[in-house]
Amino acid sequence: SIPTSAASEEDAELLSEEQHARSVLRESFLRCLLSMTNKKVQFNMYEKVKVEATFGASDIDVLNFQVSDLHTPIGVQKEALIRCRDVISFTFDI
Amino acid sequence: MQCGWPLLGPLRWISYVNKQVKVKAGKDAEHRGWLMTVDPVSSSLVLVTFREGGGASVQVVMGHAVEEVQVLQEADEETTERLQASFLSPQTCRLDQ
Repeated sequence: SIPTSAASEEDAELLSEEQHARSVLRESFLRCLLSMTNKKVQFNMYEKVKVEATFGASDIDVLNFQVSDLHTPIGVQKEALIRCRDVISFTFDI
Repeated sequence: MQCGWPLLGPLRWISYVNKQVKVKAGKDAEHRGWLMTVDPVSSSLVLVTFREGGGASVQVVMGHAVEEVQVLQEADEETTERLQASFLSPQTCRLDQ
């Protein structure tokens, strides 16, 4: 068997601490996404674009948001996907 | 904190939780609020601002747009509790409790 050195034990401890922090943070974030479903959300995008839509869902790696009734400057889009890289921030009320 | 926010990692991100922060993101946009959590996948920050007379406004700042995060103050016990209960319905509890 391969003896475990003190260093690798420390590494394992740090890793599990890190994993715990990751899970706590992610759980809260998922609850935040969950509470956003069917709410009116204001998206603040690059080039000073501000749009409003009803939030539907996000993919797991937060690359796209699915929204309904997207109010754009040229009309209302019934269903749309917003690319997260185009978004700076978004706001909603709870 | 200067740029490099997405690279900090969970242990550094969690140290900002329950603190009032000022976030610089995008061109001259500034966001303030109590930091509720940071998504470890996208490094996006969830900021909560409580309104007088109940309710709250939530701002999510995407991790890729973050330029600077500055801590303004720490939350007292009451604010911490209020903050952490923001998205929990009375029937549910957190998974790690």
